Amino acid sequence: MELDTVKERAGPREFSPADDLPEEYRKAATRMIEFHANSEIMGAYLERPFIRQAPSIDRKLACSAKVQDEIGHGQLLYRAAESLGIKSREEMLDDLANGDGKFLNCFHYPMEDWVETPMIAFFVDGAAMRRQATLRRTSWEPYAHAMDKVCFEEGFHVKHGEDILRELMTGSRKEQQMTQEAFEEWWPRIIQFFGPTDDKSTHHDFAASVGLKQQSNDALRNAFLDQYIPKARKYGLEIPDEPRIRELDDGTYEVEEGDLDWDEFFTIAKNDYEPGLGQINGRKAAQEAVQWVRDTIEGDATAAGGHAPQAAD
Amino acid sequence: MIWEVFRQEKAGNYHTHCGNVHAPDREMAKQFAAIQHGRRKPTNSLWVVPSEEIGEIDAEDVAFGGTTDKAYRWATAYNTTGEDAVEVVESEDEQATAERQRGDD
Repeated sequence: MELDTVKERAGPREFSPADDLPEEYRKAATRMIEFHANSEIMGAYLERPFIRQAPSIDRKLACSAKVQDEIGHGQLLYRAAESLGIKSREEMLDDLANGDGKFLNCFHYPMEDWVETPMIAFFVDGAAMRRQATLRRTSWEPYAHAMDKVCFEEGFHVKHGEDILRELMTGSRKEQQMTQEAFEEWWPRIIQFFGPTDDKSTHHDFAASVGLKQQSNDALRNAFLDQYIPKARKYGLEIPDEPRIRELDDGTYEVEEGDLDWDEFFTIAKNDYEPGLGQINGRKAAQEAVQWVRDTIEGDATAAGGHAPQAAD
Repeated sequence: MIWEVFRQEKAGNYHTHCGNVHAPDREMAKQFAAIQHGRRKPTNSLWVVPSEEIGEIDAEDVAFGGTTDKAYRWATAYNTTGEDAVEVVESEDEQATAERQRGDD
């Protein structure tokens, strides 16, 4: 298919592996979906320690379920990316381990304390859902199908994260204060979740023209602020003075993007941010530690059969 | 030879199983599938798959999940205030529907 034809036809769920698509399309889609898949995996690793640190059995169950979901989302997305024929799942996982795979800015920052969990589970996941809901209309059908399942599960993540926030913000004064401090630290990073500003976004125009991407970074960012600033206030969080946020006449919000630290953002985007290397290497170590499981499964693939597997409940 | 037929109603939707046809080869299976399953309901595409190529595992072979109470997995289990984002509400509705259908089949 010619690129012009792709652009003409580019509608929701328009293209599937049955179509002969130009390399530009397949490369752009791979880049986008691989980034998304990597982010699911890195997010899961960031939150994993909090299964152990959860303050109650209910929280422990929910955190464990959530981490399990995120790893599953990663796998779904690697399949959707792999079906474009540019890169195999193994190559993407190896790149992630080697520090060549790119992923979301927020997951480069280490997380130390339980009060930080709603910053990821409520705000970052809320931001992710804003974006993912629009991607159910992406032109690459396997990606849209993955989004159906991801969005189905993600509602629980956001509500659980919000429930933790509510609990902390109605808890002791110390808890409220620590949560506010965590919020101030994470808030600018969360706003940067949506990526560089439209004028600095190098990939947006092409991805939008072939129907892969549905909304620009800035449009999504503002849609996030409209929804989540009132929520944050409702739970008693104070929005930091920086970055400056304007409330427009129609009740929507707009952030002064120049107030954000874009140098740090682009350092992170290149995987050069020092604290983030710990995240990347931590995942690499985990991948190496379970290599024997993969080897056993691969080596066993031909010999196996006959015994019923246990479904993970 | 039996071929299982999967029907997709609109472009972008899932192919869902809708029945099977007898046919000596793939070409004939596609034609029979089009006649038997693509005529009455709006159809965008059909898949035909040889029955013996399908692997099946059922509740006799393995204890599937989905029967344990996992209320913590549902958005509906959490107390929050204020209006939720539309996509969160949508996810919650899908989960509530799935929860209602649990054990229906």
